[in-house]
Amino acid sequence: MTSATRVLAVAGNTVREAIRNRVLYTLVAFAVVLIGASVVLSNLSYVEQGRILQDIAFASARLFGVAIAIAVGINLIYREVDRRTIYTILAKPISRCEFLLGKYLGLVATVWLQVLVMGAAFAAVSLVDGRPFGWPHAGALGLLGMELAVVVAVATLFSSFTTPTLAALFTTGVWIAGNLTRDLRRLAEQTQVEEIVGVARVLHQVLPDLAMFNLGLKASHGLPIAPGAEVVLPVAYALAYVAALLLLASLIFQRRDFR
Amino acid sequence: MKAREIVRVENVVKDFRPGFGLRRKRVLDGITLAVREGEIFGFVGPNGAGKTTTLKVLLGLIRASSGSARILGHDVRETAFRRHIGFLPENPYFHEFLTGREFLRFYARLAGLARRGREPRIGELLGWVGLAEAGDARLRTYSKGMLQRLGIAQALVHDPKVVFLDEPMSGLDPLGRKDIRDLILRLRDEGKTVFMNTHILPDVEMLCDRVAIIVRGRVRWEGRIEDFLADGAEPESDVVLARLSPELAGRLDERFGGALRGLGERVELRVPHKEVEGVVGAALGSGAELVSVTPHRASLEAIFLSAVDQGQKEGR
Repeated sequence: MTSATRVLAVAGNTVREAIRNRVLYTLVAFAVVLIGASVVLSNLSYVEQGRILQDIAFASARLFGVAIAIAVGINLIYREVDRRTIYTILAKPISRCEFLLGKYLGLVATVWLQVLVMGAAFAAVSLVDGRPFGWPHAGALGLLGMELAVVVAVATLFSSFTTPTLAALFTTGVWIAGNLTRDLRRLAEQTQVEEIVGVARVLHQVLPDLAMFNLGLKASHGLPIAPGAEVVLPVAYALAYVAALLLLASLIFQRRDFR
Repeated sequence: MKAREIVRVENVVKDFRPGFGLRRKRVLDGITLAVREGEIFGFVGPNGAGKTTTLKVLLGLIRASSGSARILGHDVRETAFRRHIGFLPENPYFHEFLTGREFLRFYARLAGLARRGREPRIGELLGWVGLAEAGDARLRTYSKGMLQRLGIAQALVHDPKVVFLDEPMSGLDPLGRKDIRDLILRLRDEGKTVFMNTHILPDVEMLCDRVAIIVRGRVRWEGRIEDFLADGAEPESDVVLARLSPELAGRLDERFGGALRGLGERVELRVPHKEVEGVVGAALGSGAELVSVTPHRASLEAIFLSAVDQGQKEGR
C-alpha cells in the first residue's frame, strides 16, 4: 500500500468532514448571496455599473474565500489533537508528514470546491447582467484558488504548533502583510534609505507576495493579461511557497509530543 | 519453551517541561518491562503513575527522553511496523460525522488493507463486536459502550499481532464491561498479544496472565499473577464450619493464633493447606458440619497498595 493511498485517505476524510459541517455551508451561502447582491449595489453607481458589479462580486468571493480558508485551516491539526482522534490515526502505519499532507490537501480541495461554487455565482450574476465572463475571469478565480492554497498552508504551519486563536491572528496578519509587501517595498525604495530598503526587501522575500494573485481588477476592466508572467509564474510561486511551508510545518509536527 | 518477547522497554525516561523556564518534570523514571507472545499483559498503577505516557511512547505519540522501546524487534519510532499493532485509547472519541462502516473503512485504508479484502473484513468485524445493525448509523448516535466496541474493531481492522488497550473498561456499565472482557479473552484465543493499561484490579485478576505495577514512573513489580499472589506466603485455606462445639472452637482458635471468626451460627477458620485435613476431620468427629473449604488468595489490591506505599516512600 503506497504513501499516496494513506495521504488520500486522510484528505478524503477531511473533505467529508467539511462537507458535513453546516457552518461552512452557511458561509458559502452568505458569500453567494453577497455576490448576488452586487447587482443591487452596482445600481447605486451612475457610471460603469457592469464593472463595479464584477469588482464587488470578485471582492466578496475573495474575502469569503480567505475567511473560509483561515477558519478551516486553523483547526486543521488542533481539532484532531484536542479530540484525540489523532492518537488512533498515528498508531496506524502512517507518518506524521503523510498525515499533515493529507489534512492540507483535504482542506485545499474543500476550499477549491467553495471557490467553484462562488465562481458559478459570479458567472451567473455577470451573465444575467449582460457582462462578459470569459477566460480572464476564470483565470482570476483560478489564481484566487492558488492564493487560498497559500493561506491554508500558512494556517497549517501555525496550526502545527499553536492554538486556533493565535493561528487565526497570525494567519490573518500574514494575509494582510502579504498583500502589502509589494507596495511597501516600492515605497521603501523611494526613501533611498538603505536600512529601510533592506527590511522591506526581506519582508517581501519572506512573506508570501499575495498581490500577484489578484487579477480580479484586470479581468473586470477587460485589461490584457500576460499568461506567462501573470498566471504561470504565480502558480509556480504558490506551489514552491506551499512546499516550503509544509516542509517547515512537517519538521515542527515531527517533534511534537501528543500528551 | 519461553515465549518470544513482543514488547521490550528498557530504562525509558521521559521528562516534560510544563512551560517556558519551568523545571522539568520526570514522568517516566527508567521503565523496564517485557511482554511475551500470546499473553494478556496488565500494566497496573494509580492515576498519574505513567501508564498512558508509557503507552504513548510505545505508539510513537511521545518521544522518550532516553532509553529504548521496541515492538516486534522494531524501534517504536519507525512507522511501517505499525501495521502489526492495534490501539484503543482511553475514552475514545472518533470522527462523529462518519458512520461505523465509513469509520472502519478509513482506518482500513490507513492500515494499508487491500481494497478487495476491506469490505468483507469490515462486515466481519462489525458482527464480531455486535454492531452489524448499527454499521450505517453516524457515530454521534452511538452509546459509550458501542463506541468502545467500535474502537476495538478499529484496532483490529488490519488483523494486528499486538493490541494496546488503554483503560478499556473505563466508564462502562457492568454489561459493557463484560462485553469488553469477553472480547479481550477472544483476542487471546486468536493468538493476539494484549497490552492493557488499567487500574481496575478485579479485571486484572480475571484477565491478565502477567502484570507490571507502575508507581511514580517506575515499575515496582513484574511477573505472573499466581507468583505475585503467592509471593513468599504459605498457601492457606478458609474453612467454614457449622454447629462447632465451644470446646473445639476454643482449641482451634488457640492453636491457629486467633484465626477463628464467627459468622452467625457458623465459624470461619483460616488454616495452612497442610492442616485442612486434620481440622476438618476433628470437626466432623465432634459432630460439626462442614460448610466449605476455599483456598485463600492474597488480594491483588493488598499487594498493589503495598507497592504504591513503597513507591511513595521512595519518592519522598
